[in-house]
Formats: sequence, structure tokens, C-alpha cells
Amino acid sequence: MRVKKVFRKDYLTLLESVLFLDFLKGLSVTLKNLLRKPITTQYPKEKLTPPKRFRGAHGHFVWDGTEPPSLKAIEKFMSYEKAKSRCVACYMCQTACPMPTLFRIEAVQTPDGKKKVTRFEMNLLNCLFCGLCVDACPVGCLTMTDIYELASYSRRDEVFSVEQLEERGKDYKARRGDEPERIWPNDEERKRLWGEIKWSG
Amino acid sequence: MERELIESLLFTVLKVLVVVPVALGVGAYLTWFERKLAGHIQNRMGPTVVGPFGLLQPLADALKLATKESVIPRGADRPVYYLAILLALVPSVLLLALIPWGPAFELGGRVIKPIISDVNVALLLAFAFGSLSVYGTIFSGWASNSKYAFIGSMRKAAVVIAYEVVLGFSVLGVVLLAGTLSTVGIVQAQIERGVWFILYQPVAFVLYMFCMLAESGRVPFDVQEAEAELVTGYNVEYGGMKFGAFPLAEWYLNVIALSAIAVVLFFGGWSGPSILGPLSPYFWFLVKTFGLVFFTMWLHWTLPRFQAKDITDVAWKILLPVAIANVVVTAVVKYFF
Repeated sequence: MRVKKVFRKDYLTLLESVLFLDFLKGLSVTLKNLLRKPITTQYPKEKLTPPKRFRGAHGHFVWDGTEPPSLKAIEKFMSYEKAKSRCVACYMCQTACPMPTLFRIEAVQTPDGKKKVTRFEMNLLNCLFCGLCVDACPVGCLTMTDIYELASYSRRDEVFSVEQLEERGKDYKARRGDEPERIWPNDEERKRLWGEIKWSG
Repeated sequence: MERELIESLLFTVLKVLVVVPVALGVGAYLTWFERKLAGHIQNRMGPTVVGPFGLLQPLADALKLATKESVIPRGADRPVYYLAILLALVPSVLLLALIPWGPAFELGGRVIKPIISDVNVALLLAFAFGSLSVYGTIFSGWASNSKYAFIGSMRKAAVVIAYEVVLGFSVLGVVLLAGTLSTVGIVQAQIERGVWFILYQPVAFVLYMFCMLAESGRVPFDVQEAEAELVTGYNVEYGGMKFGAFPLAEWYLNVIALSAIAVVLFFGGWSGPSILGPLSPYFWFLVKTFGLVFFTMWLHWTLPRFQAKDITDVAWKILLPVAIANVVVTAVVKYFF
């Protein structure tokens, strides 16, 4: 990146100090800004859409036929239903979490020997939205959505049950599932920032 | 004789009743305008919520200030504490009495001058009122029993003392050219010559603008406010509407009045092409005044602040010699040509 060098004199010349040229320069800058459109987002009236990888409230992806084929093997061991959370109660998210008491995960063994997740709760009051739990999830269940308006009237409302997480995951997938996962709006922007990557196909 | 006196008194009261509420209202709405201007200069929107374009914001502010609890600091000198508000507000309002808003006209066989008091020493009075307003500042700083307020008021006193002198000398050139101290007379002189005095006295105008910014405590001379150092300066211990009165007087009424006097001195007062029939003199006067007010605010949101020591330094060492030289040159040129 090129750094523009600015040369500054210690004293103004006579002409500059008599005609207030530096004043006029400053005034022209503010006048230009005055005529420009404001950049304000008037928040409650208009909201920005965060990027796809924004770390907002958590959600659970569900069994809906889009999961990778490798996950089919889990059918043998897990008792799951269609359109329900993919969670296998492996506790990886809790292990990865810097604040493990945030999670409340329980599972039981059904009479046919399969594992069934009975409880998955997240207390977002303790969450720092680092996303480590999402990285740790081996079945691609836990995700983070673009929802950031999480205020509520009671502390109880900040503890999210598995139903709420499923709901949010479905909603997120329906709205943003087709978007490519990148933090640049397009490839040109990426190239401008990082340059061409030679080794990747 | 007696009837004449009563009539003239009645007319004066009527003029006062028109000018003062309008000026106070315009002063209040200048807060809205300044916030919009500052916002857009900084690429923000300014007030938008209260009313269309935030136009009711001054009313909401007044309501808020009026319902605030008013806390007087322990050890405050109460009579002086309250007196300071009046002493800040009254000179600024009195300045409005000397401004000719338009030419004299006849109504029902009677000549009416749209100026509250057409005295022949109007400029002297204007500077007297300007100097008086420093008492409001000093008293408020002294009576508050607070070191921030006191430092702010002392700074303001130093600034005003320095710039009053420069102000007096800077307008002397115009007075020499016009041959009168009356505001109406100065405007008449410019109309008779068909030229605005800013063409003859550009240096005096620049000096006047410096002094106007210093007198009204605007950037770059707002050391008495200096938010980063003194919280908000001499009015820091005032609450509610008492707090609102100081900026209203100093930042808005004073700026309006001094801009109007600058228009009288340098921009030919109400002179201008007749585009609105009988109303055009008022229109031109208000347009010029508002232009200067806008320029002041524009400067306010552009420039950084001088150091306190630099302000008096500039006044005594640079502006005063320039002003005196300007007066001498004007006098010599006027005498010989």
C-alpha cells in the first residue's frame, strides 16, 4: 500500500497569512462535506444486512436432506426426526466454549440402543460470540445467524431452547443459505485487498 | 407636546414587542439550524425525530430545560448568581435596539423608522453593551463558587478586554468615512455613495469578524467554553433554563446583533435591488445578516480552538497595530483626497 507523504511548512508565507488561504482551504473542506449526502443509517427505521459470516445469535441446522452424505451413517446410532436439530450431543461445543456453563446438553439412550438428545439450551447472557462452538461442531449443526437484536425483558428469555435454535437455523438457511460464504462483496474487492492467489486453482 | 411623547412611547413599545420576541424565537431556532449544519458538515443528519426535519426540536429542548431540576451549588452567592443571568441576557437584547431593519416610511401622515432607538451615538452604545455583557460572564463565574466556571469567566474577561479595543479601532475607519456614529446615518452614507464600505475597508471588516467571533465566544476564540478543559466554562454550575439562557444570549442573540451591525457598517444595511417592492429593504437586510450568521457557524464547525494565551497575544500584538494603521491610513486618505 502506498502512503501519501504530506509536506507541511512550519510557517505560512506572507500571502497565505494575509489572504487566510489556510482558512479558506478548511472552509472548502467543510462546505464539500456539507453538500454531501449524510452516511447515517437511521437505525430503528432502516437496518443494514450483516455479511453472511456475521457472528450473531446461534441457530441449529436441521435434518432437511441437504446434509452431506457422510452424516447418513449417524442414522444407525442416533434417534432423529426430519426437520429436527442435527445435534448428536457430542459436547464438542461445550468443550470448545470459553464459558462452558453456557451450554446445557443432555441425552438419553432409547430402548433400541440409539442416542436421543433431550435437551440443548444456550444461555446467551454468558456468550461472547467468539464462534468457537460453531467451529467445533462435527455434524455441521450449530451455526451463527445474522440476527443481532437480542434484547429482551427478562433474563429467562435469553436462554434459548433447542426449538428456538432450530427455528432460527431454518429461518437463516431460508434467507441466506444460497449466498456464498465470503466476507467480500465480490471477487474484485478480494483481489484488491489480497491480490491474486497464485497457488489455488 | 404631551400627546407626541405618549405616541412616540407607544410606537417604541410596539417596536420592542415585535423585535424582541422575534429575535428570541429566531435565536431559539438558530440552535436547530446550528445542529443541522454541524450534523451535515460531519456527514450526520442532525435532529430529525421531533417534527418534520426536527423542526420542533427547539420547543422540545425548551420543555426539557424548563422541567429540569435547578441545583444551586453550596457557597454560591445567590443574588449575584441570579443577577448574572440578567446581565448576560440584557445587553444582547439591548443591542437589537440599535439596528435599523429598513428605511423610514410614512404611515397615516406619520414618519415611522423601523429602528427602536435612532440615537446619534448608536455605535458607541453598541460597544458599551458589548462590554457590559462581560459582567454576566464574570458574575456567573464568580458566583458559582466553582473553579472551572471561574477560570472560564476570567478567560472570557481577558478576551473581551483585548478585543473591545480592537473592535473600537476597526470600526473607526468606517466612522471616518461616513462622518457619523448613527447606524441609520452610516447606511445612508453608503446608499448615497452607491458603494458598500467593505470595498473601502476590507481590513477593518476582517478585524471586525475576528472581534465578533471573540465577543460572542465562537470558535476559534471559545476558550471560555473549551469543553475539553473546562466542561462548559462559566455556566457549568447553572441548571435548567438558566443554563439555556447563556448560550442563547452569547452564541445566538449576540451573533445576530453583531452580524446585523456588521451588515450596517460594511454591507450597506438594507440597500439592494428592489425585488419585493416595499419589503425588499427588510429582505436584503435579513439575507445579509443571516449570511453572516451562517458564515460564523460555518467557521465554528471548521476551525480548531486557539490557546488562551495565543488569543490575547494575537489581539494585542497583531490585530491592534493593524487596526491603528488602518485608522491612520483612512484618516490621511480621507483628509487629502
